[in-house]
Amino acid sequence: MLQIKNLHVEVEDKKILNGIDLHIKAGEMHAIMGLNGSGKSTLSNTVTGRENYTVTEGDILYNNESILDWKPEDRALAGIFMSFQYPTVIPGVNTTYFLRAAVNAKRKHNNRKEYDAANFLKFIKSKLEEVEMDTAYLKRSVNEGFSGGEKKRNEILPILTLEPALAILDETDSGLDIDALKIVAAGVNKYLRDDRAIVIITHYQRILKYLEADYVHVLINGKIAKSGGENLAEQLEEKGYSWLDN
Amino acid sequence: MHFLEKELNQLIQFWDEEPDALHTLRSSAFKQYKEVGLPNRKWEGWQFTDFSTLEKTSYRLASHGDLPPVQETLPTITNCNRILIINGNFQENFSVLPDKVTVQTLQHAYATNPEIFNKAVVDNSNPFHNLNTALMNSGLAIIVENNAVIDHPIHILYYTTGLTDPVMNNPLFLIVAGADTETTIIEHYAGATNVQYWQNVVTNIELSNNAVLNHTRIQEEDHNGSHIADTVYSLGKDAQLNAFHFASGSSLYRQNIQVNLASSGASSMVNGLCIAKDHQHLDQHIIINHLKENCNSNQLFKYILSDTSAGVFNGRVIVSEGAQKTDAQQTTRNLLLTDKAMAHSNPQLEIYADDVKCSHGSTTGQLDENALFYLRSRGIDVRTAQLLLISGFAKEVMETITNTNIDTYIDEKLTTWLENIGVTL
Repeated sequence: MLQIKNLHVEVEDKKILNGIDLHIKAGEMHAIMGLNGSGKSTLSNTVTGRENYTVTEGDILYNNESILDWKPEDRALAGIFMSFQYPTVIPGVNTTYFLRAAVNAKRKHNNRKEYDAANFLKFIKSKLEEVEMDTAYLKRSVNEGFSGGEKKRNEILPILTLEPALAILDETDSGLDIDALKIVAAGVNKYLRDDRAIVIITHYQRILKYLEADYVHVLINGKIAKSGGENLAEQLEEKGYSWLDN
Repeated sequence: MHFLEKELNQLIQFWDEEPDALHTLRSSAFKQYKEVGLPNRKWEGWQFTDFSTLEKTSYRLASHGDLPPVQETLPTITNCNRILIINGNFQENFSVLPDKVTVQTLQHAYATNPEIFNKAVVDNSNPFHNLNTALMNSGLAIIVENNAVIDHPIHILYYTTGLTDPVMNNPLFLIVAGADTETTIIEHYAGATNVQYWQNVVTNIELSNNAVLNHTRIQEEDHNGSHIADTVYSLGKDAQLNAFHFASGSSLYRQNIQVNLASSGASSMVNGLCIAKDHQHLDQHIIINHLKENCNSNQLFKYILSDTSAGVFNGRVIVSEGAQKTDAQQTTRNLLLTDKAMAHSNPQLEIYADDVKCSHGSTTGQLDENALFYLRSRGIDVRTAQLLLISGFAKEVMETITNTNIDTYIDEKLTTWLENIGVTL
């Protein structure tokens, strides 16, 4: 599904990624672990097409097609999704309106009829129940006035509404209490299918207790220092990142 | 401006029914106007706007003859009383007036109630005001009886259309909201014409004790129009003003707004939204005079500027010595959509009392890149995402319009405007 080949990325003339190779197939869950500043977020931002993340070498293939020239919205419509570590607060933009615009953009892309306001409300209410969110939140501005946990659940919601093929969850576990973590993990587990893939980006091993990652990669200084199975995460928890430093 | 003098003489000569006192008033106001002329960029408070274009065209004053058949559909706001003025001519037959409100032409008002003119004429700090006093040729006196609660807004539509040569109008509106009244007034300027025109408006609004007045001013003149306005509010004891100034029209717009909080307990909220494109120049100067104790004032002005347009906001809050316990807040925010659009913001506070709460703030910026990426990363195309964010920017101030029908009208204007707007930043 996603092939990252020898990826070098610069942000504001600073080299952050120094040759990443990663192959993610449908049906797989990958975890990318690393300390702050190791390049985890740069990787997810580059895959989703954020401006100012300049690819200086290498390629990103999605379903065997290079997506380096694709706009962020085209990547999203093709099925690539990233949850944000720090969801952007957008004052004045109503949450329902935003969610409907996103869902309808996707439906239009798939040649399906767009939801009118009433149908969308029915649709979104059923999804809110799945992540145990209150409908009052629909009336707020995008990401405004959320507690930390609410913000993260809000980031999981699009997985259910947009049904992306590839979901990159950037530090979704940080700032969550154990109950919220379980809800998020349950949402993620439910989402995974043979035709979908998940990338969990995390600092800690904690969320991996509730998720079954097929592969764990450790990112250090913009390179994958080690890849392995789930036990790699456990080893990392025991020995710390310094274990791989050399 | 030689042509203006000619117009004044004709006005005095031919407007026979006018009393001598009014002729004298006109002549002396014109004399005072002539002594200083039009403002230029060296004048304090006028430096960001070039008025010289007004002198390049010979305008004549609109007359009773300027009443072409109106081809286009006039703008309407649902559920309103209506006062219709076409090219300066009051169309009483097409107006719907509420009970407990007296509407008079200026001549009639001057004959029966001349003292209401006293505060509205001649202001030497503003030559356009003096010009209006000299040349006032349209407008109305609108008086709301004490204790009246007017259910539906009074929509004054001042429409300019079908001109064949450059025309100037000098409307004077004298609005008095009686004691213990509740009124909503929409002062609405619009136009559709291929010929240049110039509106030079003075609106004097008096809120008596305990009056509640919602005043919405909509300026959507044709791009061939220049719109100059001086809007003065005076508030009595415990009076409450909620004003909203929407401006999207005319190539040259300058409005002075003055709020005089003249008795204790008065409160004013004066907000505005300006949207500009092409070469439009929208300039607003606001003075809030806190003259007595226990008054509060709020201002929130937003500008959305595209193409090579310019927005000017100069807001001054003056708290006099005796105005203790004043609460005055002032905020202005500018959103630039292109790198050629310009915003000048100058919030000022002058405080001469010690027990007051005052704040001011001004920001100018572009669309938030993070927010834009967030929306796009959810599959929303860049254009839709930009429009969502621009509407979101306007929302904070749009929400302060309490009348739903007025809100709907302005919101539709904003939406239509946004459909054709360029965003390059």
